[in-house]
Amino acid sequence: MNKVIRILVQVAIIHIFFFAAIGVKAFLPIPLPTTIVGLLLLFFALLVKLVKIEWVEEGGRWLMAELLLFFIPSAVGIVNYNELAGVQGFFIVLIIAISTIIVLGVTALLIEKWEVNQS
Amino acid sequence: MTIIFITLLTFGLYRFSRMLARRFPILLFHPLIFTPALIIIVIQLLPISVNTYTAGSVVLTHMLAPATIAFAIPMYKHIAFLRQYFVQIICGVLVGSIVAILSSFGLALLFNVDEHLLISLLPRSITTPLAIEVSTEIGGVPALTIVFVIITGILGSLVGPLVFNLLNIQSAMAKGLALGMAAHAVGTNRALEYGEEAVTFSTLAMIFAGVITIILGLTVLPLIIFLL
Repeated sequence: MNKVIRILVQVAIIHIFFFAAIGVKAFLPIPLPTTIVGLLLLFFALLVKLVKIEWVEEGGRWLMAELLLFFIPSAVGIVNYNELAGVQGFFIVLIIAISTIIVLGVTALLIEKWEVNQS
Repeated sequence: MTIIFITLLTFGLYRFSRMLARRFPILLFHPLIFTPALIIIVIQLLPISVNTYTAGSVVLTHMLAPATIAFAIPMYKHIAFLRQYFVQIICGVLVGSIVAILSSFGLALLFNVDEHLLISLLPRSITTPLAIEVSTEIGGVPALTIVFVIITGILGSLVGPLVFNLLNIQSAMAKGLALGMAAHAVGTNRALEYGEEAVTFSTLAMIFAGVITIILGLTVLPLIIFLL
């Protein structure tokens, strides 16, 4: 039970940075999404020791570990798009597969060659 | 009341699906395939409309925002890595992001996919909350983008190990960066197999891929789409 409360409190602390980001965006015209502004705010708060890592680490780990859960409602929304059921849907999965293989290959090869050259 | 019920229902089915996936590690039981499929069946039986379900699941969807912000924690913990390999990370992710966008664009043209599907495809390799923002910005359909992001994550985490074997990739940094770049958080999950170092690079790649794609989304992409 103690652990659950700790995680809840820490998730609430992380939420403060979400609201802070909304506030910052209201005053400054930053062309970045709220979540990235929040991420940067939390990062700098940790850097300048305004927030201790122990205050957010456990809650943060829980949020990241359960990330797949937060995607599920959006995945259910797919039933609203019948157009994906036909040929177009098949092509799209094919496009995503080919493109993802290219991205994986190019990025991995680039970094691998770079490391080999350096050593 | 509906919110509580739908949240608990989703959470329960998700746990069940994860338990099955751990026991039988096959694609069908992937939490992002099996859970939504179960939910679609359950809400048909109850019956709850898809829109009621979506409205009732706001708490879960909302958690994507703090979950993204929480990635500041591993970034901070691995600041030494970030400083040491900053150039490699930025170059890898910049090249990866451009390749991701251009290859999706080119293939979509090749297969003659509808324009709104094509535009919704472009930000598919980054994490959901950010992909939604880019999709909205460039005139895509966010709901479609979310689905493409999920498909990308699943496919990327499946084919990643095959691609690394085929190209004989040895370095943990290369594997981690490629997985985080190509398949965002689901890829980062896969990077767990290659150790803590790979997870760190994967996390950093995922964050920077999101930021770089947003910058491209605000500058270069509207131009490309305009030329369409």
